[in-house]
Amino acid sequence: MTRATLVGWICAVSLAAPAVARGDAPPAAATPEVAASPPLLPPPPAQAAPPQLPATASAMTTATDPSTESLASTPAADAGRFEFGSYGRVNIASDGRGGTGRQTNIVAHGTRIDEGSYAELELRREDTFTDAIQTKIVATLGLFPPFFHFSGDATQAIGVRNLYAQAQYGAWTLWGGSRMYRGDDIYLLDWWPLDNQNTVGGGVGVKLPKETGDTVIALHVGMQRLDNPYQYETIPSPTPFGLGATNVVQLDRPRTVETLKITHLFRNAEGRRLFPSDKEGFKAILYGELHEISAGVQRDTSTNLDKALPSDTGFLLGGELAYWTGKRDTFVQIFARHARGLAAYDPLSSPQTFANDLTTNGSTETLFAIGGNWEKGWFGLLVGGYLRFFRDGDPSATTTQKYDEGTLVARPQLYIGEHWGVALEGSYQTKRFALLDPNTDAPLTASIWKAGIIPYFSPAGRGSYQRPQFRMLYAVTARDSGARALYPPDDVFAQRKVEQFIGLGVEWWFNSSSYP
Amino acid sequence: MHGLSRSVFVLLLAALAAASPEVGCVSVPADSTKPTLATHVQDWRDEIIYQLIVDRFADGDVNNDFNVAPGALGKYQGGDWKGVEDHLDYLQALGVTALWISPVVQNVDSDADVDGYHGYWQQDLTKTNPHFGDLAALRSMVAHAHDRGMKVVLDIVCNHMGQVFFYDINRNGQPDKYVNGSGAPGDPVQVVSEYDPPWQPGGVLAFSQEGSSGRAPIVFLNDPSINRIPPQPGILGTAGAYHGMGHIMDFNDIAQRTLGDFTGGLKDLATELPEVRATLVDAFAQWVEKVDFDGYRIDTVKHVEPDFWPVFANATRQRLAAGGKTNFLMFGEAFDGDDKLLGSYTQKDALDSVFYFSQHFQVFGNVFENAHDPKTQGSTAQIEALWRERPTNYATAPIPGGIGVAPSKALVNFIDNHDVPRFLFASAGDVPALQNALTFLLAEDGIPCVFYGTEQEFHGGNDPANREVLWNTNFDTTGDTFTHIAKLARIRKAYAALRRGDTTVRWSTSHVGSEIDASVFAFERSGGDAGSAYALVVFNTNALQESSTTDGTLAMKVGARAGSTLVDVLNPGLVTHPVAGDGTMTLELPKQSAMILVPSDQVVSGI
Repeated sequence: MTRATLVGWICAVSLAAPAVARGDAPPAAATPEVAASPPLLPPPPAQAAPPQLPATASAMTTATDPSTESLASTPAADAGRFEFGSYGRVNIASDGRGGTGRQTNIVAHGTRIDEGSYAELELRREDTFTDAIQTKIVATLGLFPPFFHFSGDATQAIGVRNLYAQAQYGAWTLWGGSRMYRGDDIYLLDWWPLDNQNTVGGGVGVKLPKETGDTVIALHVGMQRLDNPYQYETIPSPTPFGLGATNVVQLDRPRTVETLKITHLFRNAEGRRLFPSDKEGFKAILYGELHEISAGVQRDTSTNLDKALPSDTGFLLGGELAYWTGKRDTFVQIFARHARGLAAYDPLSSPQTFANDLTTNGSTETLFAIGGNWEKGWFGLLVGGYLRFFRDGDPSATTTQKYDEGTLVARPQLYIGEHWGVALEGSYQTKRFALLDPNTDAPLTASIWKAGIIPYFSPAGRGSYQRPQFRMLYAVTARDSGARALYPPDDVFAQRKVEQFIGLGVEWWFNSSSYP
Repeated sequence: MHGLSRSVFVLLLAALAAASPEVGCVSVPADSTKPTLATHVQDWRDEIIYQLIVDRFADGDVNNDFNVAPGALGKYQGGDWKGVEDHLDYLQALGVTALWISPVVQNVDSDADVDGYHGYWQQDLTKTNPHFGDLAALRSMVAHAHDRGMKVVLDIVCNHMGQVFFYDINRNGQPDKYVNGSGAPGDPVQVVSEYDPPWQPGGVLAFSQEGSSGRAPIVFLNDPSINRIPPQPGILGTAGAYHGMGHIMDFNDIAQRTLGDFTGGLKDLATELPEVRATLVDAFAQWVEKVDFDGYRIDTVKHVEPDFWPVFANATRQRLAAGGKTNFLMFGEAFDGDDKLLGSYTQKDALDSVFYFSQHFQVFGNVFENAHDPKTQGSTAQIEALWRERPTNYATAPIPGGIGVAPSKALVNFIDNHDVPRFLFASAGDVPALQNALTFLLAEDGIPCVFYGTEQEFHGGNDPANREVLWNTNFDTTGDTFTHIAKLARIRKAYAALRRGDTTVRWSTSHVGSEIDASVFAFERSGGDAGSAYALVVFNTNALQESSTTDGTLAMKVGARAGSTLVDVLNPGLVTHPVAGDGTMTLELPKQSAMILVPSDQVVSGI
């Protein structure tokens, strides 16, 4: 057994992500989960917001002491149910020049105003066996654009985003399967800045103390083995009998990720009054990850030469502070995290640059992020932003993978009556590389300004997080020479200073379990 | 629980503190920003050039190892400028003082399943070859070399670009390879490649079954996957910048040699056009201005019309001098044994120097390589005869605005290079012969140039076998030849006579057999720009017997003071040799050996 797998299985327990009931915590938001690492792979699906999890704080506090319950109860005939949930957004836009509207972001997690379509369909079976024991089986399919009516291609890219079972036993939660496993997001950036795992594995969690569940400790271990030459390769080999060749696995080295998350809630409870309102609250999260990958041997099939790939490790430490008023989804959250080595790379985006020993030694990622929403009367304000400092392990001082980036997005909105609204959005993004700008002899710096307007209809009522939402979209982006320099010379984005995005969109979410 | 929350906060703060070193604006190191042009050379004869093929020297960054095929020498191997920078210690230990690096510009990546790792398939003269790094890496390498007192010479090509277009002979708009003709009498079978058709005196013609239809259109290729895209900058991306005559079939035909495409379908530039000349001057001068190179090694000079070189060289000198750089060495490569032809490129205030190819063939080839075979070994009289032609064939006055040394005294001497089999291949592994040749190289007049890997006794044959990967040696500095070169470099540095002295041949012979002086050669270095410094260098190039500086009757007459004592500073024992009262010396030299003799009062200790 390799070191990586050994470590993985010793820790082979993880935990259901602590969740906070809507109204008790900031709503989660949507999407890109491959964050925090260089955009080496296409961003995975996004998704959306706030549906509650069964494992809510309130549910935890009302859980029955498991010791009094039978562990082998048969589900009551009326205790189980099927659920359907979904997140989705479908946008269509023009660039105002006769082409398709296109996202102009230059940072890893820019504003989502001009993002593409994506949807999830969730089927879920929930059973209650006793007062203390509940389970759910979750299957979520992610649908990736383009969709048939746009491309005429009936082949639909579908990803299994969730396929797991979770059980709750008193204060304990246990799950296993393939799962999106993550915490709070910044809606405007479609991003989970602190924790966002997409692994096949399992976890365990416990709420302490049993009576209030103010502290939740969650452990998870999962594995990933992407189909790329960094982790997986097959080579042709002569068949053992007869003629011809068959493929055999030459390289197979999953990455193992262990996470630990400790969440502590500060809120009113019996005999404890911390806030004027019982709906008001604060939480602090401490989060850590360990990453391991085993050594392997990769074969260059054109030269038939083998290349030894060393084992590698990494770690991440981070935290989050969040405060919510309990009134109309008003909250603020800040995040910070630091990763080194392999953990600087999201598991869905394998490293592509290395130290000379082919490890990720020297790679670091440090980020600070903020998100929030404030609503009062006919006005609301969503904000999101971050600063991120990424350094790869490349021994060269100048590479595309040593950079700083950041963005700030603000989306004020006016609610017109109960069901209508107009959102304005302004944002700035900048990215500075440890690369020479050929024109200035200074580090290459790219920046864009983006402004937009989103008139919308909100059948569910007033609020920044009410869905579904039917929108008109308009965004205009001013792109400087640095931003244009990031694109190949034949790409129009290498030449055009201004881009427009003029379109229509809808977004919905309901009854999904993807947002702990 | 309050205790826990406090712990959480403490841990969070600790995490943030741990992260702080990585928080801050990225920057580009000062060594990678635009340098101030400066003159780093006093006298190019003081320098020892080390020729390296960047792709083969050292791999300092695995991340630019794009499409490398380890061991397949016709393909990229992974070397880069970072690797050179990381191994300047090795070069300094060897004693070399100037680096001639292979071309830096972006190339056609691959052609006919062979890669442009060597750099001579240029496509864009304004961009760096990403296999080797970016501009910052190049600047950093050069700056670090300068910090150590080392100079860096840029390899440039004015004659041609890479295989960037095809001749649309059949006017079908695509590059074809096809067979013409039936083989019947009067209708010979011809294999035609529109990439690289043979020379046609009036230019490559289009034709059909109906006959010729005028000049074949030049069509630029566009295959970004191998960077075979229209060349840059400016006019170089237009058909009018090329001769379009097809490839050279007869290298002795001056028209073909100067107007035809070079071997491998490398497209010949119309260097007679003022716009092309101006583009080349500007494009390469920009590299000097951006990186602070100290000289040009110029490829294939004999394939450009001769009157190009004075124009190019002087325009370059003036531009760089205006920017603050003088003593900028420009030396050309004319792969030819014709000494007169070589010298012609130094006349009319053209190039400061050329590779001394005639010496490569006649001396290192004929004399040193064949040390074991009296039937094939050239006599040392041949060396003297060749040297005697220098003042005739090469310019004898410094070129105005040039390096301050006459071309005839600044020839770039070399034993072998990337275009010829290595010495140890040609000499069947004769390491003593190589070491003797190295002594000759580092003691003779001119600028010595050592091909990378010589110090590791590489013995590859013709291209690409002679372009071995150096890092496979682990940069060993303990080998005999490495230490021999290092010692020679120290000696050359210590004794000005070996660098700047004039040359007087004191002994040469036509004997190569069993005669008493067979294969002996001796020359003095003294006077000139070396003042009173004096050195006498004596060789026995024969591998079969001891030889002497006498023919049995007459002993070698030397310029050293009669009755004085000379010390062999090449010998670890610093053996002394008296000059006889009549000013002669009879020196016995073991087979394949040499002496470097200096007056006892000029001996520098500690070398």
